[in-house]
Amino acid sequence: MILRVLKAALVAGFLAACVAATLQTFLTSPLILQAETYEKAAAPEAHAARFGGMLHLAHVQHAPSDAGEESAWEPGEGFPRIAFTALATLVSGVGYALILAALILAAGRRFDLQTTLRWAIGGFLAASLAPAVGLPPELPGMGGAHLAERQIWWICTAAGTALGLYLITNVRHHAAIGIGLIAIVLPHLIGAPHAEAAASDVPAALAAQFAARSLAVAFAFWATLGLALGWYWARQENRTKSGFLSQAASGTGERKAV
Amino acid sequence: MSTLTNQAYAATPSQRLVAILTAATFGLALVFISGFASPETIHNAAHDWRHSHNFPCH
Repeated sequence: MILRVLKAALVAGFLAACVAATLQTFLTSPLILQAETYEKAAAPEAHAARFGGMLHLAHVQHAPSDAGEESAWEPGEGFPRIAFTALATLVSGVGYALILAALILAAGRRFDLQTTLRWAIGGFLAASLAPAVGLPPELPGMGGAHLAERQIWWICTAAGTALGLYLITNVRHHAAIGIGLIAIVLPHLIGAPHAEAAASDVPAALAAQFAARSLAVAFAFWATLGLALGWYWARQENRTKSGFLSQAASGTGERKAV
Repeated sequence: MSTLTNQAYAATPSQRLVAILTAATFGLALVFISGFASPETIHNAAHDWRHSHNFPCH
């Protein structure tokens, strides 16, 4: 059982990562590079002061004053950067596929294409769309409130939305629907943490295009994940069935021969 | 025959529980590493993915 889950998650994560990494290379990564030119143009010290020293300027050449400090490793521009982005996409893809498979198993649902696609769309709503309502996808140089606070809000929103969707679509009891709605809406009523002075040098049009493309890529990622999980699971199940049937048939044949 | 076949490849409840817990643990760990882990090396390697997939990054 565990091997079947791991294999299906690896295949689904790999295929979703292939689709997402390709789309990212052409749709979102160019916008990130463009935004970094604005980030580089702004004085790093001013940004660091504005965001309480929490801002980490990845992929930005440090000012000469930082030259003496030891800077952390980062992938080189061009192919290494694309490759590491694809690797991170693969790691997340397999991770999300494992979580999705665990949830479908725990709910006692069958792994057919329709079910896995539906649950993957639920994953998109919970882990991509709902957090984006409070914290829209950000380009480098658009730093917001304290990182840990935003991460906690993101996790609570994703978990709350997932729980709410499950209660509303699977339990279907009046009380469950009420609790589900509260779980979905509450993080937004509390509100996402935002920096007081969230000024940015990145043009608004660039940021808006990035947010839209980011959600589109996320949808393609989740849809591929769901379809691939259902497809590969059914394939494994059919193989097991046909393997057992042929074993049983050969066993019957042997008995007849005896 | 079909009942026998179904019984042959269906998992027992304990196998199922182990599969659910293992998949959930590994899955959460992988998403955490690629989306949230704070060491700078991991952050820099996953930087563009974190921005593209709307994980809070900076």
